[in-house]
Amino acid sequence: MGEFMRILTYAEAVREAVREEMRVNPKVFIAGEDIGIYGGAQKVTKGLYEEFGAERVIDTPISEAAIVGLGIGAALMGMKPIVEIMYMDFLPIALEQIINHAAKIRFMSGGELKVPLTIRTQYSLGRAHGAQHSQFFPSILLNIPGIIIVLPSTPYDAYGLMKTAIKGENPVVYVECCLLYHRVKGEIPDQEYTIPFGKADVKRAGNDVTIVAVSRMVHEALEAAKKLEEENVSVEVVDPRTIQPLDIKTITESVKKTNRVVIASDDCVFGGIGAEIAASIQEHVFSYLDAEIIRVGAPNTPVPFSPQLEKKYMPGREDIVKAVRRVMYLDR
Amino acid sequence: MSIIEVSSTGLDEFKDIGRDRILGMFRDMLRIRFFEERVEELFLVRGLLVGPAHLYFGQEAIAVGVCSSINPDDVVLSNHRGHGHALAKGIPAKYVMAELFGKATGTCKGLGGSMHVCMYPKLGALYSSAIVGSNIPIAVGVGFALRNTGRIAVCFFGDGAVNTGAFHEGLNMASYLKVPVIFVCENNQYAISMKASRGIAARSIAERVSYSYNMLCYVVDGNDVLSVYKASLEASSRVRGGMGPVFLECRTYRLKGHGVYDKAEYRDKSEYAEWAEKDPIALLKNRLLQSNMLSPREISDLEDEVRREIDEAELFAQNSQVLEFSELYSFVYG
Amino acid sequence: MTNIYMPRFDPAMETAKIIEWIRKEGDHVRRGEPIVKVEGEKTTFEVESPIDGVITKIMYPENSEVKAGSIIAIISEQAVEGGGKPRVKATPIAKRIAEEHGINLSMVKGSGPDGRITKNDVIREIEKARLKPVEAAIVKIGEAKILRRLRLSGLRKTISERLTYSHKTIPSASIAVDVDFEELIKLREMMEKSVNLEISLTAFIVKAVAKALRKHITLNSSIDGDEVTVYDSININVAIHTEEGLVTPVIFNAEAKSIEEISKEIKTLTEKAEKKQLTLEMLTGGTFTVTNLGPYGVDTFIPIINPPQTAILGVGSVKKRVVIKDNDIALKPTATLTLVFNHQVIDGVPAAKFLDEVRKNLENPLTLILK
Repeated sequence: MGEFMRILTYAEAVREAVREEMRVNPKVFIAGEDIGIYGGAQKVTKGLYEEFGAERVIDTPISEAAIVGLGIGAALMGMKPIVEIMYMDFLPIALEQIINHAAKIRFMSGGELKVPLTIRTQYSLGRAHGAQHSQFFPSILLNIPGIIIVLPSTPYDAYGLMKTAIKGENPVVYVECCLLYHRVKGEIPDQEYTIPFGKADVKRAGNDVTIVAVSRMVHEALEAAKKLEEENVSVEVVDPRTIQPLDIKTITESVKKTNRVVIASDDCVFGGIGAEIAASIQEHVFSYLDAEIIRVGAPNTPVPFSPQLEKKYMPGREDIVKAVRRVMYLDR
Repeated sequence: MSIIEVSSTGLDEFKDIGRDRILGMFRDMLRIRFFEERVEELFLVRGLLVGPAHLYFGQEAIAVGVCSSINPDDVVLSNHRGHGHALAKGIPAKYVMAELFGKATGTCKGLGGSMHVCMYPKLGALYSSAIVGSNIPIAVGVGFALRNTGRIAVCFFGDGAVNTGAFHEGLNMASYLKVPVIFVCENNQYAISMKASRGIAARSIAERVSYSYNMLCYVVDGNDVLSVYKASLEASSRVRGGMGPVFLECRTYRLKGHGVYDKAEYRDKSEYAEWAEKDPIALLKNRLLQSNMLSPREISDLEDEVRREIDEAELFAQNSQVLEFSELYSFVYG
Repeated sequence: MTNIYMPRFDPAMETAKIIEWIRKEGDHVRRGEPIVKVEGEKTTFEVESPIDGVITKIMYPENSEVKAGSIIAIISEQAVEGGGKPRVKATPIAKRIAEEHGINLSMVKGSGPDGRITKNDVIREIEKARLKPVEAAIVKIGEAKILRRLRLSGLRKTISERLTYSHKTIPSASIAVDVDFEELIKLREMMEKSVNLEISLTAFIVKAVAKALRKHITLNSSIDGDEVTVYDSININVAIHTEEGLVTPVIFNAEAKSIEEISKEIKTLTEKAEKKQLTLEMLTGGTFTVTNLGPYGVDTFIPIINPPQTAILGVGSVKKRVVIKDNDIALKPTATLTLVFNHQVIDGVPAAKFLDEVRKNLENPLTLILK
């Protein structure tokens, strides 16, 4: 197509989106713990301090509430802050600022005030970091109108979605997956592009069953699809990319076609994002379902440290295959 | 960092401030007082208002003193006890009243209520938080955006906020980033029923701040509007100069209950009587009479004028419409 | 739980056909609400639900021939999970496809957990149904070239059944008499001129028969096993020939009605018969049948009794024939009347007396007009 492509890792894709926006818009700045001199705990912001200096790359003390508050205040005054919460598990410290203020200020001011703030965070499930440094729980924010929730799964999506977050006028919680940072590479056009919020991506087309998957589980779903192909099961993988707003239309169109759906994500099944998606699906296309809607996710316990136990804990391609076989009535 | 005590100004300091400004402050305080009296009546006597209402009786000197000392393009962050801040910053009383009535002509189009009335960006009333202490980290962000602009941010909160995590994180961050913010603590001695001297495990708020955050603190007689004005003026010029944030502890008393329905029976009657003697409006009124700056006739005329303003505000609010429900969805995302 | 039975309109009626299930399995129905359309006798009839409840089971699909008296549906007062027939378990998409293709889910075997019917189960069923007709077409190729095949159904079938029954079970005998219609024709002409309306010949015959029956009332009866019921009301079935077949609506209380009235009624009933608007009330309650093939040029014929009636009168065509009158040859308009009667109920002599009475009435037509 005449487009030059670059190959970037997932982390690099995030960084490039941030860097490009900081270059063109002086109102964009980043703040967080160890993001400057240290280059970020996961090295995602590496090089930005050197390029933009201490005025625009702010290393902060450990004060999650103040970090987000800083972002909210600056956003209210027309700046475009991108603040980092080092681990999603630390998000609760700042949740008061997010839920009561970032989410509600536009509404409470009758539309007079805006909070164009991007809050970046990541989850480290799979790295033996234990219960307080591993959890993935974006569904907590699903219940808070006013917040946009972004769950990128590929470098291509990460770049486009981060661009939209920074250029936009809403508070965004952008949840990265640590295991994907440096292992997943992808092609990204050289030319700038954005991906709109609320637009799902069909990562793989198929006819027999729909798998709705987010973040790391998109990759697991694609692997499961390959395996199922050997059994003549044609799998369609739909990646919502953002769960608020949620592209329920693309999902239900897929279910109308396949009549079967499995939802796969890294959060606990109980009360996870699958619960909202499943409820929505059956509400819209009940008469098209040929089986129950099955959710694949983590067990209902905190994350165990022990690497062997964590491996069993983490949902993956085998669980997805099992779920698909169930909704296809293949094990009778 | 040092603590500067500022209290009752002598009569000669009047001339520094100027008659116009003093009369302006007197009118502003009357407006707040009469507004709050009307709100109390609308709740308790006429039953026309519902929800919370945290009234500003006795604290008028702080809002007026501070807001008179800053520029129109300086930014104010308020809290749940914000009617006084809103009026002192110049928001027309009718819009504040309309917000209490939940009408579309209110400062928040009826979507915020009493705890968010001090939100009128055009006049620098930026944001009002109903969560105690939470406006402090946000004020830090506002100050961050105002660095090197010559403008400053002012953050109002009470003695109850000084024990929150947000207070600590925010003040630390403020000092660390050297943001141009004046933190105004209205120590009215009570956080609902918790006496400040009981809950705050420090010798005083000013001491806590001075030692913990390396921040310059003023301790001010919060019932003397001229003292407040002086302290705030000095603080703001320091902050504009780039020295970083400054803290004002204004000592005052909450003459009514925490909220409009609270009878504050947990308080000592003699304590109340003592502070009632020091009513900030009465104090200024006496000064004006003593110095012949205003005659009794002029004062009563002024009072009538302000009362009429309040009447008009109420009428405006009563006659306004409520938003259509379907419009709500348009205020969630942009 | 209440059973809905296939109604029996007539002792001769063995089966009826389910035309349409107005309400489906699982539907809530109110008392008095029609739930199924059946075709029996010569009409369609809507069966109503006797109670408020839910149709828990439908026993036969549409187009089934069902024995009268069989249970065709079950209605429960409440939708009970355990009580009554078990719910058909099928996935939403399976139900949807089944409905689109007219597949009865209760006929499908479910391969899912707990016998759940899945999409593929229904699709398989649809495939099966498509294959069947191909097999059936292979059989029965005879040497005669076939113009068309018909399956007896509806009215035709009913007629077939009833006549077979009649033929098999009734020991019938027949007697005939020739009737001189000259006076009657004259009278008819006069009457038609004065009222300016056509008067049907059959109307005269019905009236003549009705009068005669009053004198020979035993012939105005029905038999059921050993029991003979002699009726006081004289209700004459008049055979009307429609495209579909023979229908016999009733002229109630014929002896009290004038010729004019009877003629008008015959006309109305004929119209209704042609439009298929005859109701059950119009077709039942007859005690004696008159059938006139005269308009079709038939001289004599021996009709078959309409069970459970005792007798039937067949009327041939009125033609100019050579008769002997006063020992001389004359030309008179005559027709042959044939009475077929159930010998169980009555013997030849009383039957003959009746027939003679009819003849007398017709040959002295003024007696038919005067009360």
